[in-house]
This record gives sequence, C-alpha cells and structure tokens, in this order.
Amino acid sequence: MATYSQPANRIVYGILVANLVAIVLVGAGKYLVTYLEGYNTGNGSGIFIFSSFVIVPLIMGAVSAWYWHPLQLKTRAYIGWSAISTLVACAASFIFLKEGVICLLIVSPLILVFTVTGALLARMLYNRKNNTLNSSLAGLVVMILLADTFSSHKNLQLVSDTIVVNAPIEKVWPHVVEYKPITLKENYWLFKIGMPSPVQSTVDGYQAGAGRKCIFSNGYVFDEKMVVYKPNDELTFDIISQPHDPEIMGHIDIVRGQFILKDNGDGTTTVIGNSWYKLYVFPGWYFNLWSASITRNVHLRVMEHIKLLSEDRV
Amino acid sequence: MFDWVVKNVGFLKHVPLLPHIFDSGLKVATLLHNKNIPDYIDEIESEVRTWPNTTVHAHKFGGIQFNNNNRELGHIHGNGLLDILLSREQKAVLMKKYPVQDHHIFKNSGWISFWIKTPQDRQTAIELLRFAYTSK
Repeated sequence: MATYSQPANRIVYGILVANLVAIVLVGAGKYLVTYLEGYNTGNGSGIFIFSSFVIVPLIMGAVSAWYWHPLQLKTRAYIGWSAISTLVACAASFIFLKEGVICLLIVSPLILVFTVTGALLARMLYNRKNNTLNSSLAGLVVMILLADTFSSHKNLQLVSDTIVVNAPIEKVWPHVVEYKPITLKENYWLFKIGMPSPVQSTVDGYQAGAGRKCIFSNGYVFDEKMVVYKPNDELTFDIISQPHDPEIMGHIDIVRGQFILKDNGDGTTTVIGNSWYKLYVFPGWYFNLWSASITRNVHLRVMEHIKLLSEDRV
Repeated sequence: MFDWVVKNVGFLKHVPLLPHIFDSGLKVATLLHNKNIPDYIDEIESEVRTWPNTTVHAHKFGGIQFNNNNRELGHIHGNGLLDILLSREQKAVLMKKYPVQDHHIFKNSGWISFWIKTPQDRQTAIELLRFAYTSK
C-alpha cells in the first residue's frame, strides 16, 4: 500500500500541499485587500498584492521542501519539481480563476524563480535543524505578508510615445480621430502569439462628448468618450468600458487615452500618444515592465498606421 | 549577464533576499544551459560536508557558502563560479598551479575565482577548497 513516507508520495504531497497553501493565502489576501482598499476593480476579480507573486511562491517552495528534504534530492530535482509545482499553480489559475494564458506566461517566470528560491533556502534551513532560526524566518515572512496586505495599493501609470509624421497637421488629424482597419504585419511577439492588437477606431460624432470605439483583432471593443476635442491640436478620451478579457480582467484598467499634435513648421507633424492605466497586480515594478511594453506596442501600431495613412502610403 | 548585473546593479545585493532570488534565477538559467553544473555543485557540497568542522550556509550575496569553524572557506554562485578567500601569497601559488583567476570583483585581493563547468573542474574545485581548508 502506498504510504506518505514513500519518495513518490512525498514529492506529490510537496506539490499539492504547497498549491493548497497558495490558494488559501492568495484567495484570502486578494479579497481582504480588495475590501480594505474600499473599492473593487469593477468585475469582481480583485487586487493581487505583491505577496501573491513573491511571498506566496517563497512559502510554496518552503512547504514543498518540507516534504522533499528527507529524500536528499539533487538541486536540479528541486528546480524540476518546483517547475512542475509552478505549472500546477498556473493550471489551477487557468481553470478556477479563469486567468488568461498570456497573463500566466507573464507571471510564471516570477513564480518559478521565487518558488525555487523558497525551496532551496528552506532545504538548507531544514538540513541545519535550527528550529529557532526557522521559526524566526517563518515569523518574518508572516509579518511581510500582513504588512503588504494592510498597505495601500494604488498604481496609476502613464505611457507616452512620440512619432513624427511627414504630413501637415490638418492631414494627420482626421486619422487620429478615427482610422480604417490596420493592415500592418504584427511585429510584437505578444501580438504574434495571440494577444489582441488594435485594428480600427470609429467615432459617432466630431465633438467633445461623442463616443469613440477602439476595436481589437479578436473583436473586443473599448468604448470611449471624447472629453477634449480640439481639431489639429488634442484628442483626449476616457475609457468607459473595456472588454472582459481574461488577459486583462481585474489586472489592469485603461483609464484614459490622448493624442497631442504639434505642427513642426516644416510640413511635418509630431504626434504624441499618451495612455493612463491602473494596475491591480503587484509587484508593480515587474508587471509595469510588461504593461508598459504592451501599451507602447499598442501605441506604436496605431501611430505607425496613422503615419502611413497621413503620408498616403496605404 | 552575471558580470553585467554584478557591475551595474551589484549595490542591490544588500536588499534582503534579492541576492538569493537572483542566484535562483542563475541556477534555473544554468540548468537550461548546462544541466550538469548543478550536479557538480551538489557533489562538491557533499564532499566538503564530510570534512570535520565544516558547515554549509546560504551565502549572503547568493549561492552556497562553506565554513570551517565558522570561518568562510569560499562560496559557489548558482552559475558555477567558485570564490575562495586566501592570502595573497597562497593566491600566487595557486595561480601558477591551477587555472584560477583574480576574483571577479576584488581583483587585487587574496580572493580567487574559478569556473566549474566540467567533471575535471569539479575535482579542481574540491582541491582548491581542500587547500583553503588545510591552510586555515
């Protein structure tokens, strides 16, 4: 009969218990933080604090190592089984939390490295059999988890990009307001593997207050309202609803978009594209690297298209 | 990559846990690049553990550290880079006998660095640590 002490069972327990602990900690943290922040993200998905992606994977690794350390596994086995544990966590997130594949692709390196760190450090601590040190570290981790949970989580970011169009400002402006479908080949790797890219923009009027739609390659539509409409100068729009895409749902809110046009006085026009977004996933430094990169590539795809249209190259 | 990080953002090594996280990333990357290096490091650790009065700890700047009577013999980073602290005279002797280099940061000190990439390197690393062990 299979028993808990058998090596194969210890490895499986190490993975399953670590993932169960993670589910409890992430679930509790997410809903507690969302409640404490006094608002939700509009779709019930809540906020993922930095502990969810840093402290919890460290704990996952430590829990796994608790089961694995009597087996005297090699370092590469720890890394390999930690990778399996990360895959299980991602699969569970995909199935139960309805997370998007690209989202999980973005987060998985972070979870893997922290899980491996937790497992390898814990292996060393368990082998030293220093219970005082182990208890102190466990207490420290719990304190970080609590401090993070009760800290403020607001992260508003701006991404700005500039392009020079070889056309006069009055020829550029109409294509900024609305543009026909983009036919440019995808050249950003996340767009190539399936992340929706911008395709077309339409408006239902030519004044402040009118509606605007930004349509993406998978048919998703961002509904916008133009709040500043100054021909040949500035177009600013607020996003009033965004698609319920698992890749962005609850993780990011695009708040506002803006195009500013500047006449360079030599028949060319400088177009500045700005986007503001709120991030609900932490650590901000990591996820902002990705969201800024994605936003920048959305900007550049649209602005490159505006440039081609304005220069009569499409 | 390792050299770039050490040179440009090495000051971050004082942030708690960050060096260990970086070292885990190194271990994962090293495993993908040369799956034998983590095994060589494990084997070196197993051998050093058998020497009387030696202990193994996490190195404060990432990797594993070998101590003899609570004094550091040396440490190995996750990418297989062994650093050993010696006197300058001992360093001069070893540099003639083994393919060791000046330390990757403290070039004008008694520290030496040695890359573990092959089974022969593993054996050389054990000899270098043994030299440090017997000379302290």
